[in-house]
Amino acid sequence: MAELVLTEIDKVYDNGFYAVKDLSLDVADGEFLVLVGPSGCGKTTALRMVAGLEDITDGTVAIGGKVVNDIGPRDRNIAMVFQSYALYPHMTVGENIGFGLALRHEGKAEIKEKVDRAGRLLDLTSMLTRKPKQLSGGQRQRVAMGRAIVRDAELFLMDEPLSNLDAKLRVQMRAEIASLQRDLGITTVYVTHDQVEAMTMGHRVAVMRLGELQQVAPPQDLYDNPDNIFVAGFIGTPPMTLMHAILNVEGDSAGLRIGSQYLPIPRSVVDARADLVAKNGQEIIVGLRAEDIFHEQREGSHPLEVTVVLSEALGSSVHLTFGLAGTPVDEMRLGSGLAKEEEQELTRLGHSKEIEGVAVFPPRLEFRTGDAITVYANGSRLHFFDVESGHALR
Amino acid sequence: MTSPAVPVVRVAPIPKQKRQTFVQWLKSNGWRHAIAWVAVAFAVTPVLWVVSAAFTTNPTISSGSLIPTDPTLDNFKRLLNNPDQPYVNWYVNTMLLAIIVALFTVLIGAGAAYAFSRFRFKGRKVGLMFLLLVQMFPQFLALVAIYLIMAQVSDVFSGIGLDSLIGLGLVYLGGAMGINAWLIKGFFDTIPMEIDESAKVDGASHGQIFWGIILPLAAPVLAVVGLLSVIFTINEFVIASALLQSPQKLTLAVGLQQFIGEKYSENWGPFAAGALLAAIPVVLLFIFLQRFIVGGLTQGSVKG
Repeated sequence: MAELVLTEIDKVYDNGFYAVKDLSLDVADGEFLVLVGPSGCGKTTALRMVAGLEDITDGTVAIGGKVVNDIGPRDRNIAMVFQSYALYPHMTVGENIGFGLALRHEGKAEIKEKVDRAGRLLDLTSMLTRKPKQLSGGQRQRVAMGRAIVRDAELFLMDEPLSNLDAKLRVQMRAEIASLQRDLGITTVYVTHDQVEAMTMGHRVAVMRLGELQQVAPPQDLYDNPDNIFVAGFIGTPPMTLMHAILNVEGDSAGLRIGSQYLPIPRSVVDARADLVAKNGQEIIVGLRAEDIFHEQREGSHPLEVTVVLSEALGSSVHLTFGLAGTPVDEMRLGSGLAKEEEQELTRLGHSKEIEGVAVFPPRLEFRTGDAITVYANGSRLHFFDVESGHALR
Repeated sequence: MTSPAVPVVRVAPIPKQKRQTFVQWLKSNGWRHAIAWVAVAFAVTPVLWVVSAAFTTNPTISSGSLIPTDPTLDNFKRLLNNPDQPYVNWYVNTMLLAIIVALFTVLIGAGAAYAFSRFRFKGRKVGLMFLLLVQMFPQFLALVAIYLIMAQVSDVFSGIGLDSLIGLGLVYLGGAMGINAWLIKGFFDTIPMEIDESAKVDGASHGQIFWGIILPLAAPVLAVVGLLSVIFTINEFVIASALLQSPQKLTLAVGLQQFIGEKYSENWGPFAAGALLAAIPVVLLFIFLQRFIVGGLTQGSVKG
């Protein structure tokens, strides 16, 4: 067991592409850290650098206080679970699990005992003499887990271990892995692109984008206080509705001008955020979570006129995609160096003039595409971001 | 009192299977049988002829009948008891040479293939192209050069130069390396990298990955390469006849040729007997290796 410290690590390919840029992370002893981000954000590359499967261009990786940059994967005392499981097809399940022990020249009896124990823990006892191809996907996944837990590794690395399982099994294995990690107390870094895994499994979640770390925080904190519009848009399903608005503070009242509509917000919300106060009269980006939009008037909520784009009844709720006149936000473009003029040019060309948002409504409400309806937004639960940098205004 | 009416259940009659006419059968399946029989005849006739010739005293090429009228072991006796043409020596030479060359061919080929498949180094692409390029020319194009090299090697190390089976084996090894490296590399490339990486994290060295993971998984292609190498060595004539001289050091291909090469048609009997004996180990090897030549060995390793 050990802590993991990444200090400004870089991964630069020969063509100059930064797969990982200045990534610094501290993972405490026994912590479960989830690394999440869209495809190509460098999360897997970062994990492979920790494992020693990729060279580290710059910066240091330290496991248990020891810098391991120049130590091969076999001597880092880590265990890794691959997305494809990567079982050894010519070995039985027992041999697969015991392979790492055999390589370390442990005694036969000792290996058998440890393999049996891992088998019991993972409910694989009756499968130990089978070959991987005789197993189902979920069982293979458990064998891969067994291979990791059987060695007293200091660090677990998991690279999207559940993405090849069907939905039901994924839910089950999600809970199993999380509880296993709790029981064993081994420092774990878990890479995923799955929202739910990120929110439910880890002590903390690190969000990456284009090779750069965006924010590290406990899941609920990440959801409630995203540092920038990328995290705001990425974390949460359905995603946060983001839109351009002009802040207007007058006397005791405050409000946002969104397109031609006006959304009043409590003055206290503005006052609580020093950065926001300074933006009076200026354009900002406002974020609204789907659950903070209601289909009926509630206390503290104010009406917004929208048109129905799509209504999806999920049984337990209705996801309503709506259009709202105003300037939409393209969080991929923002902060990626595209000038504001270009963005405005795209808007002028009719690229998109409507803000598209999603609200979650109670079940059995019916909407027809194209209908103009009124929804009610909770003015005190808004998120505010800077137009230029995309950072949260706090 | 009348008994209650028994409901009548009408069962639809099972339609009679229409018998296929012969013409229909011929159209659907029969022609396949015809082609198969032609193929069988094509493959079996020469074998039958050799078997027949081997058991017939003084057969001729033209007049030999397929079933020997008077089976005899004379040919085998003549073959094995001729001090001028030591068949047993040739046999042992050839089999030892074939097996050792095959073993090293597989090892060298697999080693090269592992490097080309798994390592990224300067000159990797160029090296691969070069191997392929060299392979485009048949080995006996270089016969003169090989002969001269071996003659000079003889002056220094007589053990591996001209008229030496070790020398011949080395020439064979060099000649077959390129194409085998390509063949095996192609197979290695289909073994997912993640298996290597997983083993690395588990604590395996390159050597342990090569011997413990890659080679067992590549068994089918290694069996094929080994088998092809054995067959090549047993059949090869041009280089062997140029390099080998002493009667007791010849290989079967070169030695047996003497039976029919000089006094035409006189010794077809012993030749056939010798060829028949030479075929036995190859057939046995084929049967033995067949179980390794199975696909789907990596199945179940990755994905669900």
